Amino acid sequence: MVLVLALGDLHIPHRAPDLPAKFKSMLVPGKIQHIICTGNLSIKEVHDYLKTLCPDLHITRGEYDEDTRYPETKTLTIGQFKLGLCHGHQVIPWGDLDSLAMLQRQLDVDILVTGHTHQFTAYKHEGGVVINPGSATGAYSSITYDVNPSFVLMDIDGLRVVVYVYELIDGEVKVDKIDFKKTASIHTAH
Amino acid sequence: MPPALMNPLMPPPPPPSVSVSAPPELEGSDDVSGRSVTQKRRFGDLRGLQWRVDLGVLPSESSTSIDDLRRVTADCRRRYANLRRRLLVEPHIPKDGSNSPDLTMDNPLSQNPDSTWSRFFRNAELERMVDQDLSRLYPEHGNYFQTPGCQGILRRILLLWCLRHPECGYRQGMHELLAPLLYVLQVDVERLSEVRKLYEDIFTDKFDGLLYQENDLSYSFDFRKSQDLLEDEIGSHGNAKVKSLDELDPALQTIVLLSDAYGAEGELGIVLSEKFMEHDAYCMFDALMSGVRGSVAMADFFSSFPVAGSQTGLPPVIEASTALYHLLCLVDSSLYSHLLDLGVEPQYFSLRWLRVLFGREFSLDNLLIIWDEIFASDNSKVEKSVDDNIDWGLRILHSPRGAFIAAMAVAMLLHLRSSLLATENPTTCLQRLLNFPENINIKKLLEKAKSLQARALSVDISSPSPLIIGYHLQSKSVMTRSQTLPSETVSPKTPVNLLTDSYWEEKWRVAHEAEELKQDGIEQQIPTRKKGWTEKVKHTLRRAGSDPPPSRIKNGKKESKVVRRNILEALHKALGPEEEAEQMDCHEILCKQENISEAAEGVQQNDNSKGDNSYSSDDRCPSGNTGIEESSSVYSDSTSPPNEANYHEITSQGSSVASNLYLDECDETADTSLSDPPLPVSDHPESIPETSESTDVDVDKSENIPQMSGCNNNDPGNSATHPKEKKQNKFQWFWKFGRNTVEGISGKVGAASEPTKSTSSCSNQSNSQPPVSSTTSEHFTSVSSKGDSVDQNVMGTLKNIGQSMLDHIQVIESVFQQDRNQGVSVENLSKNILVGKGQVTAMAALKELRKISNILSEM
Repeated sequence: MVLVLALGDLHIPHRAPDLPAKFKSMLVPGKIQHIICTGNLSIKEVHDYLKTLCPDLHITRGEYDEDTRYPETKTLTIGQFKLGLCHGHQVIPWGDLDSLAMLQRQLDVDILVTGHTHQFTAYKHEGGVVINPGSATGAYSSITYDVNPSFVLMDIDGLRVVVYVYELIDGEVKVDKIDFKKTASIHTAH
Repeated sequence: MPPALMNPLMPPPPPPSVSVSAPPELEGSDDVSGRSVTQKRRFGDLRGLQWRVDLGVLPSESSTSIDDLRRVTADCRRRYANLRRRLLVEPHIPKDGSNSPDLTMDNPLSQNPDSTWSRFFRNAELERMVDQDLSRLYPEHGNYFQTPGCQGILRRILLLWCLRHPECGYRQGMHELLAPLLYVLQVDVERLSEVRKLYEDIFTDKFDGLLYQENDLSYSFDFRKSQDLLEDEIGSHGNAKVKSLDELDPALQTIVLLSDAYGAEGELGIVLSEKFMEHDAYCMFDALMSGVRGSVAMADFFSSFPVAGSQTGLPPVIEASTALYHLLCLVDSSLYSHLLDLGVEPQYFSLRWLRVLFGREFSLDNLLIIWDEIFASDNSKVEKSVDDNIDWGLRILHSPRGAFIAAMAVAMLLHLRSSLLATENPTTCLQRLLNFPENINIKKLLEKAKSLQARALSVDISSPSPLIIGYHLQSKSVMTRSQTLPSETVSPKTPVNLLTDSYWEEKWRVAHEAEELKQDGIEQQIPTRKKGWTEKVKHTLRRAGSDPPPSRIKNGKKESKVVRRNILEALHKALGPEEEAEQMDCHEILCKQENISEAAEGVQQNDNSKGDNSYSSDDRCPSGNTGIEESSSVYSDSTSPPNEANYHEITSQGSSVASNLYLDECDETADTSLSDPPLPVSDHPESIPETSESTDVDVDKSENIPQMSGCNNNDPGNSATHPKEKKQNKFQWFWKFGRNTVEGISGKVGAASEPTKSTSSCSNQSNSQPPVSSTTSEHFTSVSSKGDSVDQNVMGTLKNIGQSMLDHIQVIESVFQQDRNQGVSVENLSKNILVGKGQVTAMAALKELRKISNILSEM
């Protein structure tokens, strides 16, 4: 059983001062095994903060990231799942499912995590999942000002992944859960 | 079965043709472990089973049928299974589909401590801790304990136990308590499989086999065939093999019955079952940790808080360590005191010994033998004669098992005895304690422990109070030597305690009074002093008259305290003037010098006044002397300070030079002294000051005070230091005296005549003295008379004075020496010592005198 935290588009300090306090209190070290971050942190301090939550941190580069060493895309394997990571500003049209599915096939991953739109979305698509965790700080995007802070926690266990969606709506944390089972065919395909 | 797993101590597998006479097997196991309680051990060759019985998991009554055992076993397993189901949470698996979980609460990041996720995280934390220890468990037996299956079992058991007992939690060492339990179960199961191999036909039900083989035929199996088979079997095996269960030896029979899948409770009731090893191990572990209804619960050893109802208020393991040292102290006080001296406290090593029940000190095989013994000892509390009102401190010694554990530890200490005694610092000592030698004769050690166990139990019952006292001493971490023998600590303690209550008070009072009196003596005039003196005399007289000793004995301690105080007061008063007299002596001497040098008339006057005063004081003198006489006779025999003897003799001498037998004719001497005082008194004021104390002189001196005040300033050092020293000595005497009164009082009456004897002998011996003193006094008078006329000869006369003083002192010294010799021959040893000490102090005083005289002679 592995817990993977996925978040992105914090835009600290340009568009938001910090993570919401409620999120911060929930994110405590020791629980999470991996963090995947889609990008736009934007400064090193955020990177450091994420490191304190979990040392295993994976970041791709957003267009506002100071650190240019982050890769454009990244893949990693956790348990029996292969995860792909990309900020998403490169994939046009932004947030388009088909374009993202293309990237998913390209990277050959079961779960693709992208950002940039600042809107939480999760699609089950072609035996895989495409997830956008939204903006963890609720920073505005070039698309919309109406953004709820949100992030995603994935509980990967064997062939099963449970996606917990944490969204801050009107000062309350709302949690949602999406179950996803990897089918045997996909498994054998690998 | 891996051969390494076979317990080397297990009896050899029975020969194929087993006769009914199987006991050699049992005996074999007895020999190995040295058991004395074989008859109690129902499952001697099945250690795991035996332990389960001993630990209270299975009923221990020998009448319990196999079926009952199976039922209890099944119940235990069911309980464990339930527990496991309840406590081991798998949060990411929904309990059931219908259950709609509250996601705000039940999510991985939930802060709610009751959520399944936080429980899961807590468990995970615990698991990590347990795993850390388990991965290092018995590396030498790695082929068994490090297998994933075994680790899994151990982890689950520990986890469940800790979750079940959250107040205890997981502590390092628990896994080492658990591992041997699982190990013996494993050994049992292997033994079973071995037996099963040998007697396959008994274990395997033929119908089972048929059913399995001809599964598809379902119910239509051939009865005839099976009948044939049965007959076949009987025919073929015949007499070579065992035909039925009844023909097996009882031990094997039990094994078969215990593992019969069709017995009570079916498969779940198979007492020896590999499938349920985990369940059984948990039950054993739980029983061991909680100490089912017994007093030794291993869990207590891991807790850092005192157990409820503990009298000592110490963590149990510390308490047990204390008990251990207590036992050691009884068995081997020299080793005990050595360890104490080094500051090696028992918990330094016993923590490690007790928490894992010696698991770290012995190899696993030896450990199993030791545990055999430990578990074989009854864990129930010993019936106490004193009952509940006194629950003595050391709980570990309450039960035979606890006593055995303590005894085992002490036996280990004794095993290391010589090497421990050779250590000189705590570090090496602990090194040796913590590196227990591996190649030891386990049998001997156990025998020793057993004998110690009996001792511990008997001691515990017979003398509970020293335990508590011993404990109190330790709890204060005083750990004094006085603890070495309980009997010793108790008996002297009470009187000392009684004494100390009033003793210091008294001492302070006495010191205070002395101070006051001294001041009084210097500042005030004679009348008050006289009053004090007479008071004292009256006091002593009253006391002497009432003949206190017998009453004192009768009236007991409180009375004796009062009496003692009286004595002290009297003594103090008697000594107080004495000191002053000494002080006065110095003054007087100095005064005289000045007087002599300045004006002879002053001396003349002095003499005159002295004469007058001494006249009047001599009125009182006899009574005073008798008082002193009496008081000194009261105390001088218990302590018999030579000072007093000296004092005595001088007073008698002072009252009348002629009569040595002053005591006999007190009143008459009073008369005589009244009749012809002028001569002796006028002589003595000069002679006696040098020989120190005399009441007459003291009185005279006090009159001289106005004149001496000037001199006082001249030589303050001498006058101040000397009396103080004296006083110190006196207080030492007081102290000793106060201590001795209780014992000494009884002997006082009998020995009352003694001091008079000694004093009379003293005075007899000091008969040689009077001539000298008289000569010196003549000197004085001559000096004073000469001084009248010749002033230039002052220096010469002073030298003469000094010389005469020296002579005088020498005489006194010689007298003392003789006195001492006599004392040695007469008195008992302790008194002699005291007398000797007194003489030493007197000698010191004389030395001071000598100094003065030296100064004088120098001048």
